Amino acid sequence: MDIVPLLLARIQFVSSISFLTLFMALAFALGWLLVFFKLCAHGSGRAGWTAAYRFWVRFFALSFVLALASGVPVLIQVGSLWPGLIDKIGNVAAPLIAFGVLSVFILKSCFLGVMLFGQRRVSAWVHTFSVLMVALGQSAALFWIMVLQSWVQTPAGATLVDARYHVLDWNAVIFNPSLGWNLGLMVLWSLLAVAFLMLGITALQALRRPLQEGERCTFKTALVVAVLASASQMPVLNGAGQVMASFQPAKAAAAAGYWNSGAEPSWVVIGLPDSGAQANRYDWTLTSAGGAWLSRDDQQRYLGLDKYSGMRPPVGLTFWSLRVVLVVGALMLLVSWLTAGMSLRRRLDPAVLPRWWLRVLVGLLHVGGVAVLGGGVFALVGMQPYAVNATITQTEVLGSTSTVALALGVAGYAVLYLVMIGAFNGMLFHAARYGVVPVRKTGGAPQ
Amino acid sequence: MIEMLSASLGVNANDPTFWMPLVFMGLLFLLIAGGVVLDGFDIGVGVLLPLAPVDERERMLQLLSPWRDANEFWPLLGIGLLAAAFPQGWGVIFGKLYGPLTLMALGMMLRSVSFEFRIRTRAELKSRWVLGFWLGSLATALGQGVALGRIATGYQTEAGYGWFTVVVGLCVVAAYVLLGATWLFMRVDGDLQRRAARWGRHAIRWTAVGMVGTSVMLGLANAGIFYKWSHPGGFVAVVAVWVVMLVCFSCVELMLARGAGGVSREGPCQWAPFVLCIVLYWLMLAGLGYSLFPYLILDDITLWDATASLETMKLVLAAAVVGAPVVLIFNLWAYRAVFGKVRRG
Repeated sequence: MDIVPLLLARIQFVSSISFLTLFMALAFALGWLLVFFKLCAHGSGRAGWTAAYRFWVRFFALSFVLALASGVPVLIQVGSLWPGLIDKIGNVAAPLIAFGVLSVFILKSCFLGVMLFGQRRVSAWVHTFSVLMVALGQSAALFWIMVLQSWVQTPAGATLVDARYHVLDWNAVIFNPSLGWNLGLMVLWSLLAVAFLMLGITALQALRRPLQEGERCTFKTALVVAVLASASQMPVLNGAGQVMASFQPAKAAAAAGYWNSGAEPSWVVIGLPDSGAQANRYDWTLTSAGGAWLSRDDQQRYLGLDKYSGMRPPVGLTFWSLRVVLVVGALMLLVSWLTAGMSLRRRLDPAVLPRWWLRVLVGLLHVGGVAVLGGGVFALVGMQPYAVNATITQTEVLGSTSTVALALGVAGYAVLYLVMIGAFNGMLFHAARYGVVPVRKTGGAPQ
Repeated sequence: MIEMLSASLGVNANDPTFWMPLVFMGLLFLLIAGGVVLDGFDIGVGVLLPLAPVDERERMLQLLSPWRDANEFWPLLGIGLLAAAFPQGWGVIFGKLYGPLTLMALGMMLRSVSFEFRIRTRAELKSRWVLGFWLGSLATALGQGVALGRIATGYQTEAGYGWFTVVVGLCVVAAYVLLGATWLFMRVDGDLQRRAARWGRHAIRWTAVGMVGTSVMLGLANAGIFYKWSHPGGFVAVVAVWVVMLVCFSCVELMLARGAGGVSREGPCQWAPFVLCIVLYWLMLAGLGYSLFPYLILDDITLWDATASLETMKLVLAAAVVGAPVVLIFNLWAYRAVFGKVRRG
């Protein structure tokens, strides 16, 4: 098997899933924060909460549009890049795909129109109800996707007969060992992505002019979310790490930069994994601190990358994507707690923060998004060369598409994704400066 | 027919493993038929955008606006159902269609995003998203057309077939343009209506070329299909379908020619070209379905080969049973005014 088509297919698949995950995460977390804004508006009756809702519903809509639009390419890629995959895991994947598509369809057709364009036509509580239903629908769609994503990492409840998976127990398939931790990480990183987006945009506005009530409400909410979510990352990451250690030994060893089985399980804080020399260069290592996330054999010896020659994930990318996630996670923890500490006396009002600190917050605008992307890349790249952990490799399900076609595909997607991320950011900064103007969509009746 | 099929497979016609794939196939066919027509006029209007004067472009997009939400769901539902109901055939088909499907995916993504971003962006950037919508529509139509060409040639890859698929791709663009033009012809009046009639007249020739070409290729490149068409029972039906299609083409052409002359300001039956086009495309699809049935990939994979296990099918069917009424109600509600006339001002 030629290596170039495989590489191109991997690049395409990982980038498409990352794009989808990023905007699904934003839409998911924004959906729930919008429910919160609506409920606060009902409870307190203050105009600030309504203003916050009006501003952020725009970015919910944009994220939702991007997530929905990028769902089709991912679905098509699953079929056209890995033609053999669905043949083998169809019995498991088919209903999950059906449920996911159905959840999105129902939420979009029944509730999204009312939420985005029907605020004047329905009563306030009906509108809030539709916001809630949209959030629930998105959670359901995200849940089914995460079930499939987790199942390929830890395939449980099904057995491989004649090169096809057959389901033994749907409960075991759905609640597979890694689902809980993966869902937890996804929820936390989504919340962090939106919280830091909100903190950054509000800080940007605070640098230019005194904040309005709606922006203060936004800042307060985002800060509380960031403080709580960044603190909860640690136990959830640890749980996910332990599951990885018991089911994905090669990924665990690559993540730790642990080359030789039986060596002292040090934690490589930072370094440059070198596949040629089978060692890390320029590394800074904490001795005996890395055992928890490493797999062991029957004699309790740690399993290193030397056991998985030829079947190991790209070590450098796996190693570094995890480091990015950890560094970014620590940064978010530090910044959110410091911000909270500095503004606690004034009930989390950003007006008390020094200007340079506001600039720090602006700089960290996209840091939560980086965590979402880093986590996604780590999960996907770390499980290579497998498409389903330990049983089906990507090579055996790869199609026979020509290298040229694949390269053109990669280029096309790259251009489109960059344009869309650019447009999203452009609208974000424009709205931060000039606010959002409500839009109207013409209804179904002839005018 | 049913008895014959079930007997040839050696199963009882009441056996769920026999009838469930048929139900899925029926649903899939409905989704494709709905998508081709309803997403189709949307694509057609999108492709026509640069031909219209600048001040009319905004109006054309606003005309689409009430149906966008419903239109953009057909492909997602269709691909989702194909994946969920026929997992064992899905990868094989999609694996052979990487190029056209990627083009279609890029186009569809650009289309939906352009449409929604255009509404929300500031005024000076709107024209960029109109361009995006045009490019996306073109790529979607071309991708679907090349895919159709590949299916018609039985996925053969020799050089001659390559050129054929490109021609079919362009003809499908023309077919969508025709659909979009007849839809505009029905929806608007005045100058734009006359323009729509002229666009439609250009597109109708290439649509006819594409339909005839695809049919001939389908018959010549696949012996099984040729037999199906030429055996005594099939032959009559095939001739009847061809006559109906010919009549449809002539009527649409005549009506568009009259419309392009600008004679009939308030002429009757302005919906007729659009409806006749729908009839044409549905006949075409029905012919394609008839030719391929019961195969997903001709002479290789049948519907029943492509399905997942019974347990899985039951779950997917449950999802479809929940989904179908929502699809139906939502679409009846969304499309309730699709035939009306919109006047200027």
